[in-house]
Amino acid sequence: MGVRGNMKVTIPQLRGGLLPLIAVIVVLALFPIIGVPRDWILYLFLFSNYLAMANMWNLLAGYSGLICLCPAAFIGLAGYTMTVMTWLGLPYYVGIIPGGIVAALFAMLISFPVFRLKGIYFAIGTLVVPEILRFVFLLWKPVGGAIYGRGAGYTVKGVAGVSGSQVYWSALAIGVASIFLMRYILRSKLGSGLAAIRDNDSTAASSGINVFNLKLYSFVIAAFVTGIAGTIFYIYHGYIEPVSAFSIRWLITIMLATVLGGEGTEEGPIVGTIIVIFLHFLLARYAEISLIIQGIILISIMLLAPQGIMGFVRKTKTYQSLLELVAGHGS
Amino acid sequence: MTFLADLSMPIVMGILLGGLYAVIALGLSLIFGVVKEINIAHGDLVILGSYFGYVAMTIIGIDPILSLLIGMPLLFGIGFAIQKYLLNRAFKISMDATLIIAFGISIILQNTYQLIWTPFPRGLTTSYSLKSFSAGPIRLPLVYLLNFIVAIVVMLFLREFLRRTYLGKAIRAAAQDRKAAHLMGINTDRVYAFTFAIATALAAIAGVFLGLTFPFTPISGMPFLIIALGVVVLGGLGSIAGTFVGGIAFGLAQTLGGHFFGVAAQMLVAYTMVLVVLAVIPRGIFGR
Repeated sequence: MGVRGNMKVTIPQLRGGLLPLIAVIVVLALFPIIGVPRDWILYLFLFSNYLAMANMWNLLAGYSGLICLCPAAFIGLAGYTMTVMTWLGLPYYVGIIPGGIVAALFAMLISFPVFRLKGIYFAIGTLVVPEILRFVFLLWKPVGGAIYGRGAGYTVKGVAGVSGSQVYWSALAIGVASIFLMRYILRSKLGSGLAAIRDNDSTAASSGINVFNLKLYSFVIAAFVTGIAGTIFYIYHGYIEPVSAFSIRWLITIMLATVLGGEGTEEGPIVGTIIVIFLHFLLARYAEISLIIQGIILISIMLLAPQGIMGFVRKTKTYQSLLELVAGHGS
Repeated sequence: MTFLADLSMPIVMGILLGGLYAVIALGLSLIFGVVKEINIAHGDLVILGSYFGYVAMTIIGIDPILSLLIGMPLLFGIGFAIQKYLLNRAFKISMDATLIIAFGISIILQNTYQLIWTPFPRGLTTSYSLKSFSAGPIRLPLVYLLNFIVAIVVMLFLREFLRRTYLGKAIRAAAQDRKAAHLMGINTDRVYAFTFAIATALAAIAGVFLGLTFPFTPISGMPFLIIALGVVVLGGLGSIAGTFVGGIAFGLAQTLGGHFFGVAAQMLVAYTMVLVVLAVIPRGIFGR
């Protein structure tokens, strides 16, 4: 595929030591304690949450050749799993991991129809999935109770007393975990296998790589992590209903963050998510115009810099010399 | 016998509704077959046709079907510009890029409609849109019959156009082999732009008849896009006859689904069928 085909290097990796990264994480984790304004906490909460989702979308679109148009399915299902568990009397935090597991199991289930499809057919197949789920949850209520909006609308029980810091830390944890997971996956056998498939899938297959399985692994992993980020979002949000849970807006945000930052680069989703969060809050008062502008940005970046901001930055001389500097310093 | 009599209504309705679905899917099928790209914004372009009919009817005061005389050239121009300035360039980057750019166009269109016409559902209510006619024991809405006739006319017209005109032949050549067509002196970029333009002009027709049949909102494009994708995949890539058969299959799925599982579930039946078709016969019944 062209976007990735242009980059002949193996896997672009996040260089530099771990120390600065850990320092940033510690500072971020301390934010609620040292009394940073609540708005900042909210922005950072959403940033970490979207970052996890964008990282997983990048794993699929940027590294596995799977244009997955159904992150909303994983987010919505995981959110519902967690919510329904609170209705069954369990505390909210018990539902986080099962939410991810349900999303992963669902990914395995839909892999039967959609993995028979290649390239663009795969994209259409996944486009239909959240639409189907929305209809299912408009018609079916997993547990009885109060209704908010149409269909299966539920409040998340037992989150009234939860402090903002706890939700913030959970989001930060999944955001950071997704960065390390990407680092780990791309340096593992799975990562090298995916790189081989991306460069040429028939050569990869003839060298003994199980193309189908590797793609399935990354699909299921992505569903799991996206699902967990989804449950954390709904713990913060407090209620869930089918129209917004399975909304195309999830895809717009996640796709924009990844494409803007640079599909197939490890730093891309981080940069992209920062910009997307900025945009969201800059344009919060103008909902429709905000989405129109996001659409225009999506098209412009695809036409002008298809490898995104990081792909563009990588090519510049300053970045190259900076890299040399870091490398020289490290050795 | 009463069971059969009960069924005759949804079956006839489904077949006639299939005509509308075929017209909606025709543009998608044309782009899919010739340019080899999936235009995710096709549903929204159809809705643009509906809103144009709405504006022509409420503000200027002309009949929505008559307004196609202006609506079709207008959408033709918009389609030509989209392919020429956006998708032709994206095409050279990658297949993913065309998909993402079409997605961007879809976002822009949907939210522009929301801005101009509010999320409130609109419909094209004319003197004839509420009339019905009797066929044997059952009474059917006149618009459904109109949809079916229009579908047949549009398909025959498109078929003859592709067979007989110079541009039609060029389109077919570019669809068969892009490189060979290019070597034969066909400006494929231009042919693609014309193909996309014709497809959006077809979307204008589909939009007006959709508006006569169903109420529509700014986000109605998505459900019709999904059904159209199902129709195209079931019918086979770029086959006009296949699109017609696929349209009828989906019309029947929807009305029979509504008959057996209730009106609320009818779209669910149609959507599930899309996924099943993709999984079982991704090449379609008329596919090569």
